[in-house]
Amino acid sequence: MTRWLARRAAQGVLTWAVAVIALFLLVRLLPGDPLAAANELPPETQEALRRLYGLDQPLLTQLGHFLGGLFHGDLGVSLLHGRPVTEVLLGHLPTTLLLGGAVFVADFAIAYWLGTRLAARAGGLEDRWTMRVLLTGHALPPFWLGLVLVWIFALGLRWFPAAGVSDPFLASHIPWSGRALDVLRHMVLPWLTLVLTTLVVPLRHHREAVLETLDADWVRAARARGVPESQVLRRHAARAALGPLVVLLGLWMPMLLTGAVLVETTFAWPGLGWLMAQAVGGRDYPLATGCVLLGAAAVVAGNLLADLLQRLLDPRVST
Amino acid sequence: MPRPALVALALAVLTAGPPDRLTAQDHGSIVIVSGQFPGQPIPTLTRGSADNDIADLLFLRLARLGPTLRTAGDRDFVPQLARRWERRDSLTLVFELDPRARWHDGVPVTSRDVVWSFGRARDAAVAPAHATALRWVREVVADGDRRVIIRFAKPYPTQFFDATWQLPVLPAHLLDSIPPAQLGTSSYAKAPIGNGPFRYVRALPGQLVEIAAVTGHFLGSPKIERVIYRAAADGDARINLMLSGEGDGLEQLSLRSQQERFAGSTEFRLIPVPSFQIGFVLFNHRDPADRNAPHPILADGGTRRALVLALDRATIVASLFGTAAVVPEGPASMSLWVRTPTAPLAGGDTARAAALLAAAGWTDHDGNGVRDRDGRPLKLTLIFPGTSPSRRLAAQLVQEQWRRVGVQIELTPLEFPAYIERRNARSFDLDLTSINQDPNPAGLAQGWSCGGGTNLGSFCDPAVDSLLARAEAAPDGGLALWQSLLRRIDSDAPAAFLFAPANVVAVHRRFDGVVLRPEGLWSGLAAWRVTPGRQLPRDRTGAQ
Repeated sequence: MTRWLARRAAQGVLTWAVAVIALFLLVRLLPGDPLAAANELPPETQEALRRLYGLDQPLLTQLGHFLGGLFHGDLGVSLLHGRPVTEVLLGHLPTTLLLGGAVFVADFAIAYWLGTRLAARAGGLEDRWTMRVLLTGHALPPFWLGLVLVWIFALGLRWFPAAGVSDPFLASHIPWSGRALDVLRHMVLPWLTLVLTTLVVPLRHHREAVLETLDADWVRAARARGVPESQVLRRHAARAALGPLVVLLGLWMPMLLTGAVLVETTFAWPGLGWLMAQAVGGRDYPLATGCVLLGAAAVVAGNLLADLLQRLLDPRVST
Repeated sequence: MPRPALVALALAVLTAGPPDRLTAQDHGSIVIVSGQFPGQPIPTLTRGSADNDIADLLFLRLARLGPTLRTAGDRDFVPQLARRWERRDSLTLVFELDPRARWHDGVPVTSRDVVWSFGRARDAAVAPAHATALRWVREVVADGDRRVIIRFAKPYPTQFFDATWQLPVLPAHLLDSIPPAQLGTSSYAKAPIGNGPFRYVRALPGQLVEIAAVTGHFLGSPKIERVIYRAAADGDARINLMLSGEGDGLEQLSLRSQQERFAGSTEFRLIPVPSFQIGFVLFNHRDPADRNAPHPILADGGTRRALVLALDRATIVASLFGTAAVVPEGPASMSLWVRTPTAPLAGGDTARAAALLAAAGWTDHDGNGVRDRDGRPLKLTLIFPGTSPSRRLAAQLVQEQWRRVGVQIELTPLEFPAYIERRNARSFDLDLTSINQDPNPAGLAQGWSCGGGTNLGSFCDPAVDSLLARAEAAPDGGLALWQSLLRRIDSDAPAAFLFAPANVVAVHRRFDGVVLRPEGLWSGLAAWRVTPGRQLPRDRTGAQ
């Protein structure tokens, strides 16, 4: 197991390194000028800015500087923010992990519980209508659903804030629980938007997997032994059907970091997805590369986690 | 988590409502909603309008532009750090600093700060944009602690503007030990100390910046105690923040569709503020396929004039902006002090346009609705940034109006950086552009003189260059010459000048004494106050 883990980790690091170098080059090959915002300045001033930011260097020289900095944890300075990329990324990471993590937990917890329940009632009214509603949610553009929720719950009923992460007027003496509740209030609408538009994917995977296991010989044997149906469902069928959900869980991890661009924009939630869109849109090469580096790390880590979990759940899996 | 605990949490979130507030200090608060996050509100480091908005409140200049926005001479300027000034000769200005001026850490503002700030800003390796703007400043020296002497390389009417407007003063005692390249990453950049009516309090990355009033400021204590500058990149999110009661001020609502969202609101009033923005369709005079050759269609002045006349610009402006914009005569925004009062033929003249096109040899020989000449259709490509709602709509209207006179337009919306790259490579027939002008009309030379650095359409009229040179040197400011210049450019038709919009600002009705300035929208915030009896809970909170 340890050797397997070390080998997979080494493969993961290699994959990550190749992805980072390829994406470093791809970001810079996109058409567009990183100094677009300075386009009203005279050309000589633009040239001076280009020299200032090292954009006049050959691509391979820029790559050399980037890799040299990477070994020291220095990802350069953001062109849009004027601050170190690591500082900008760390400033936005907590908000993204909070929202992405809450959606991630909700998606998989609800998918496990509801997928199992719907499999047991396959073809029934509850199963058909739940799937219809969730498929409709999945079909809706997230930003549009977000705007509708804002229209109803923020502008109409004024139950929840329309955007942002916290109330800027929250007094400093408020205890942490009050601050947490304030953040939760701000998170409700973006969280709901993301859950409604993504839930059906893991739910459907799990529902299908449970349906398959319900027909398995050992499940029928459990029933024949007189095990109550609820236990057959939860202990035997649902647990045995966890494989596809676990694989999906690993693949879902990158979404946790950068998968909510439109929703983060609609709700002014300053996460990494929003930051990445801003960096790529503004051709902020150092920041875009930093975001890509994190995204690639999430992909590699997610895959490794999925393999590991699958191996732990089912020792027959040896690859 | 057990079900009762989940229900309790849900109820707590739902009923949490507005959180506890600090106790009453009825000075008022304002939440300004912006499309950008002001990450570096420090002069020489600012990277956008949000940075400039905050920097205007944290840092003072020697003097600021007066209400006329006249940049020539010193007559209309208002003292800030300098309480008086005198002209020693045609090349020398002497400023006397106000002895009451202090940095927010209590240290007096001295002539050393001014000399140091100019030294830093004139270093092209550190601040290229400032160095360009201050290229005619030859020397800045201190004469004691309170007097500063600024010498110029040549006499010109906007010396005073360059000496004052181009650069807010920075604290030498805090910055001279920081290498220029490290200023942006220094501890000072995280909590800048200025000398303006507001002081920096805190920033939450990507979310907000908070500044607070400086009590006892030498130019008068602000009556708004706390300013929160909140960022939301999406236009709808910004308006939602306002309409949900979480914002007090929002700018850039020039489009009719944006203004209509506030129609049912009794909480806000919409205030049009003249802006320095101008939008136009630029004609490329050179062939994009061979820059040494003239453009096969647009190099001809008659054809360009026909294209301008074929546009009903008044209708375009009304459709896009309602009453919040005008059709400019030449490249003059609403706030440029040398603008002319009216634009001729804003409603267009399609009959004259058709005649001019026919005279240039463009007729519809095959009856397909598109004019042609020598077998070549009158077809042009129009580039614009697809992310700009105003330009996307304007492009569609222009396309339709030109279609009616037999001109075929292919619209090419581009992502903003790709658009700029195409533009700078001069790889276009027509470019629907929008720029923010410099308050100084001398900036017109960049775009419209033969050798202008941003003259991307390669327009060249020696008469325009001559007028520019004379207007720039005119000792009285040269208003008549500048206006002749604008008319000359307009008649040359190097572009179809479409719109000069106002910056429409939504402001909560509880504020009075509202001053919004074209050259720095929120820079008059120190004069605002909350009408007594109309405070909201957030007006009673103190700065953190």
